[in-house]
Amino acid sequence: MSPDTPPGPAPPANAVSFDPVALERLRELDPDGRHGVLPRVLTAFETSLRRLLVQLAAELEGGDASVVAHVAHTLKSSSASVGAVVLSQACADVERRLRSGEAGSLQADIERILLAGEGALSTVRAMLRA
Amino acid sequence: MSSPLPFADPSQTAQPEVLLVDDDDVNLLLTALALRERGFNITEAAGGEQALELLRDWTPDIIVLDAMMPGLDGFDTCRRLRRTPGFENVPVLMLTGLEDDASITRAYQAGATDFFVKATQWSLLAGRLHYLLRASRTRIELERNRAKLARAQDLARMGSFDWRKVERSGEPSGLLMSPEALRVLGFGAHERATLRTLLRMVPQDDRRALLRQLHEAMRHASVLATDLPIVLFDGRQRIIHVEAEPEFNEHGQGVGYSGIVQDVTDRRVAEDKIRQLANFDALTGLPNRRQLIWRAERALEQARRMNHQCALLLIDLDRFKIINDTLGHGAGDELLVEVGRRLRACVRHSDQVMEGQIETVGARSHRALEAVGRLGGDEFVALLPEIVTDADAERVAQRILESLREAIFVSGQECFVTASVGMAIFPRDGNTVVDLLRNSDVAMYSVKAQGKNASAIYSPQLAGLGREKLELETAVHRAIERDELVLHYQPKVDVRAAKMVGVEALMRWQREGKLVSPGDFIPLAEETGLIVPLSEWALREAARQARQWQQSMGFSESIAVNLPSRLFERSDLVEHIHQCVSAVNVPHRMIMLEITENSLMKDLQNVIPTLHRLNEIGVEISIDDFGTGYSSLAYLTTLPISELKIDIRFTRELGITPQSSAVVTAIIALARSLGLRVVAEGVETLRQMEVLHRLGCAHMQGYLFCKPVTPSALQDWLERTVLPRRAPWIGNAADGDGAGAEELGRSASARLLR
Repeated sequence: MSPDTPPGPAPPANAVSFDPVALERLRELDPDGRHGVLPRVLTAFETSLRRLLVQLAAELEGGDASVVAHVAHTLKSSSASVGAVVLSQACADVERRLRSGEAGSLQADIERILLAGEGALSTVRAMLRA
Repeated sequence: MSSPLPFADPSQTAQPEVLLVDDDDVNLLLTALALRERGFNITEAAGGEQALELLRDWTPDIIVLDAMMPGLDGFDTCRRLRRTPGFENVPVLMLTGLEDDASITRAYQAGATDFFVKATQWSLLAGRLHYLLRASRTRIELERNRAKLARAQDLARMGSFDWRKVERSGEPSGLLMSPEALRVLGFGAHERATLRTLLRMVPQDDRRALLRQLHEAMRHASVLATDLPIVLFDGRQRIIHVEAEPEFNEHGQGVGYSGIVQDVTDRRVAEDKIRQLANFDALTGLPNRRQLIWRAERALEQARRMNHQCALLLIDLDRFKIINDTLGHGAGDELLVEVGRRLRACVRHSDQVMEGQIETVGARSHRALEAVGRLGGDEFVALLPEIVTDADAERVAQRILESLREAIFVSGQECFVTASVGMAIFPRDGNTVVDLLRNSDVAMYSVKAQGKNASAIYSPQLAGLGREKLELETAVHRAIERDELVLHYQPKVDVRAAKMVGVEALMRWQREGKLVSPGDFIPLAEETGLIVPLSEWALREAARQARQWQQSMGFSESIAVNLPSRLFERSDLVEHIHQCVSAVNVPHRMIMLEITENSLMKDLQNVIPTLHRLNEIGVEISIDDFGTGYSSLAYLTTLPISELKIDIRFTRELGITPQSSAVVTAIIALARSLGLRVVAEGVETLRQMEVLHRLGCAHMQGYLFCKPVTPSALQDWLERTVLPRRAPWIGNAADGDGAGAEELGRSASARLLR
């Protein structure tokens, strides 16, 4: 995971990399790593993400748009914080669509977030293992 | 805003306490980390419910709320917070999404202080928090100051108001009063008071003056400061102080007033009370000494300027002390109040003048100075600021004496008081108030000395009299109360029978250990009328002594008491004597009365009826100092008298000038033909005694026999000299004429015995 990695179309699952600028900002909160900020944030993100993805997956059956909107809103900012830009972008798009009432399918929204979320989940797990 | 108080705001130095509310763990964690890094003390909450729970017993300096949360979201949380007492003004920062305009508006509507777009630029967030905290502190400070001001205003019964002539930048025209000002004027905090309503609360007369004043102030855009009487809706009367300054627009035109109203009733009442106490006598309500002197000084200034006279009348009640002593101070006070009331009616009394108010009035303003005041005790002063002649003052004095003539009821008793009035006229009798007061005092005392109940204008001849006499009078009066008076007794002897035939009682006064001679106080007592109580006392004492001697030595003769003619004029003399003898159970004849020839003849017509009645009850009358006056012999024959006493002057000359023996012979002959006893007074030598005896007078009195002595000394004298017949005069008189060298020697020694 080099800082030179250019952002581009979503790479296959388990291969997304996080935005180095965002990660750098996180590291600045705890420059010498004494407080373990980065692992704590990543752990929190992992827990939250896992929970929210389960919640979201349930709506493939239920189809409650407000739950989807909430998950998208929450994940949008927390994923941005850790630099999971693909997920963050997916969430922002879905949130905007749901709010504005643009044409589209809730199913596709859910699947898009689930897909990006799985990618971010495997990336954050890899980072935590490293 | 900096506070002068050192303990003003702990949050300025300590770490600001922040409640951070976010349902997203990652954000919560990150934001908390970032803010802690920047010196904030963070408490985290994962949602609205948890936040409200935390706030039940804790108030952070600032609350950061995520807008979008499941359950109770940021907006609802904020709304609930604002409804909770104590959280109305706590700063709340709402975190919203970037492109979420609707949330921003909703945040403000929910009561958020500000919003912040969620981002990872932590410094911006920290800066915003600092800004909000500072604003909050300023706001708290402001609220605190406003509360302080309101409390101070309430305590001072003060409130502020604004008045606008025309509408201006959102402020309505008309009167705008603060809740405190409304309270001052008796309105509820939310009532609206218009200028018209307020003006109606001012009594009509004052309202007109106020309107003039308001117009005047507005025309000149000048400062307004005035005290107004107002009547509140509940009927209470208050004094409101109004003070306002004009406000101007950018063109320098007056646009309105801004000022305060203050209830100064208490202060005014206190001031009035102080002024009243300082200038008026608490008992009678009349001007006191200070106020009187102030008025008198103003009157003199005016009199000098306008070249007229004024008069000062000093009014002193006669014998007020007796009333005070016998009826008590309460009654004395009552009496003074009534006297004050009557005196006040004798002049054009004006209560109104206060210091500093006189100069503004017109040329006849000194009229308003006219008053009766109380100097203290039973002394009053009437000030007549303008008189034309002495007669003007005298007329007022007469009115005053007249006004006291009617009885005054105090403690259910009828009291009669008289007054002595001394007058001094400016400028003739003094150029200053002090001089006038002193000279009116002199004149007043001259009245007292001449029998009181009259008035006199000061004249230089009066000075020096009076005061002394009055002191003596007071002392004599007290002498009776203090038992300082005693009676000494001088025997009347029958030289032929060598026995005592009676005694004459002579008054003595032991004043502060010294014996005061009767000559020093009897004339004064006669002059002042004190002789009446003195004589009454003497009668009582003589009767008591008669009884005592009767028991101790079988005394059965009479005690002669000297009485002035004015006592014989009193209808109650007979009754009084009767009481005196009855009280001690001795016969009436044991009291004999001596009256001088002079005083008898002076008031003959008035005295005769009493003499008859005295005779009827057995009281004998003796004419003292006989031969010195101008007795009408025709009257003498008809008077019910028993005894003539030959004056000492004739006795003294016996054997020296032939005329004296001629007079004595004539008196003795007269007495004999009228059937009267004759007693020669002032017998000092055996020679005098022998001459008298030879001329046919056997009853004598004088130092030869015994000087006036105390009762016990008289008893001694009787037992040692008369009864054993051992006195020089006893043998001689019995021997007939035996004047010689031996007798001369004895008489010299007798003289030494005096």
